[in-house]
Amino acid sequence: MEKPNKIVTKDLDFFYGDFKALEDISVAFKKNQISALIGPSGCGKSTFLRCLNRMNDLIPGSSVKGEIYIDGKDIYGQNIDVVHLRRRVGMVFQKPNPFPKTIFDNVAYGLRVNGIKERKIVAECVEKSLKQAVLWDEVKDRLHSSALGLSGGQQQRLCIARALSVEPEVILMDEPASALDPIATQKIEELIHELKREFTIIIVTHNMQQAARVSDITAFFYMGRLIETGDTETMFTRPQLKQTEDYITGRFG
Amino acid sequence: MERHFFKELENLKMTILNMAALTQRALENATRAYLERDEQLGQTVIDGDKKINALEIAVDQYTLKLLALEQPMAKDLRMILGTAKISNELERIADQAVNISERTQFLCKYPPLENIPAMDQLIDVSLSMVKKAVSCFVNEDVKTAYEIRKMDDMADEHTLTVLQTLVEYMVKNTPATERRRLNTRRSVQTIIISRCLERTCDLSTNIGEHVAFITEGVNIKHQGIDAEP
Ligand SMILES: Nc1ncnc2c1ncn2[C@@H]1O[C@H](COP(=O)(O)OP(=O)(O)OP(=O)(O)O)[C@@H](O)[C@H]1O
Ligand SMILES: [Mg+2]
Repeated sequence: MEKPNKIVTKDLDFFYGDFKALEDISVAFKKNQISALIGPSGCGKSTFLRCLNRMNDLIPGSSVKGEIYIDGKDIYGQNIDVVHLRRRVGMVFQKPNPFPKTIFDNVAYGLRVNGIKERKIVAECVEKSLKQAVLWDEVKDRLHSSALGLSGGQQQRLCIARALSVEPEVILMDEPASALDPIATQKIEELIHELKREFTIIIVTHNMQQAARVSDITAFFYMGRLIETGDTETMFTRPQLKQTEDYITGRFG
Repeated sequence: MERHFFKELENLKMTILNMAALTQRALENATRAYLERDEQLGQTVIDGDKKINALEIAVDQYTLKLLALEQPMAKDLRMILGTAKISNELERIADQAVNISERTQFLCKYPPLENIPAMDQLIDVSLSMVKKAVSCFVNEDVKTAYEIRKMDDMADEHTLTVLQTLVEYMVKNTPATERRRLNTRRSVQTIIISRCLERTCDLSTNIGEHVAFITEGVNIKHQGIDAEP
């Protein structure tokens, strides 16, 4: 059965002031699929990702043209609660950014912000999220020590647990493994595979092999435009366009 | 800045071309040795095979190294997989040249058989197919791959004609047992040579198919010969 579209953009433009950082992006991401965004530095991957949960709203002078639908609903339309949107569309950043709090509180934070206060429920939720992020076994005996004492790879999984705790539908990841060693990277990649059963995932990566390993769909961006998108196997074995071919084989520029 | 990897890919291609040149020459010499009953020329084919075997092993090692260290993508990946296969086909063509030369050595010990026109034609087709296979790779020209495949049907026909001619020859006339034994021996050896040639045509066809895979990422194996892009 064909998976339904989760996120659809139509003729999306994005401006930082006068600078057009995204141009005419029309693309669809299906539910429970992992999509990788690739492209040279500055091509607009992060900008695009931030459009999907309106994180760009925070940037002064920026503006959006076109439409973005999640489950068929225009997220830039009227009556959209941005806080609620960001809860549905979580984000994990390149550098792990745990709060200077305990491991437990890092994960509980989002729950509390969302009004969940009952200790038992919070504790259950924290455990579930840490298990989903494959971190539980490593931290269950020190939940109340500082998150800053964790290794980089553990911190990144903690941030993923934090993103998962509020039960989002979509997870956006901006180079989530770029600061990690191969073993931690492998753990994150395995984790992404696991998460796809429940979530829709869009990941930005500069690591071509990583895009090939983790994603179902790959989208190639260049100078603010979406050049080619297709199933990952085809994109990495026989892309349609020369520009894509040149980029993924390192013949760019 | 030119990536070091691209130089490696060029090297790999050059190794294949080198191997292709040697293989092509081996087949030319083997068939000439057969036609001209030149034992010595046949011997050079047999002796030269070591070099081609060594190149095949070198290509295997090289491609393995590039796959492991460079993790190539798209056409680079197809090029590496494709050249590994092509080197394999070339090595087997060279083996056929050795077989032909060994049969020739045997045939040279006896008086020649009557000329068989289908055999001459088969030799022509085999040689031009190998040549086309090599130029198909050099120019990355998929059209040639389809041409080669069409020629393969001709090769099959000629092989069949050689077989029919020689079977005919073996069963007819020659009442004397001794004479008959001689005819049978020479005929069988010649049939084996025709089989070897026919085999090289299959292998040349395979090379064309690998080139199509490398250049366009398509698999044209096991399609009817009329299937064209
Ligand atoms: N806050 C901002 N204000 C103005 N211009 C910006 C801002 N953020 C990004 N840009 C510009 O928008 C373009 C796209 O940037 P973006 O960060 O989306 O690229 P990227 O593909 O994520 O690059 P990288 O791979 O280096 O992370 C770039 O030219 C960048 O300079
Ligand atoms: Mg970025």
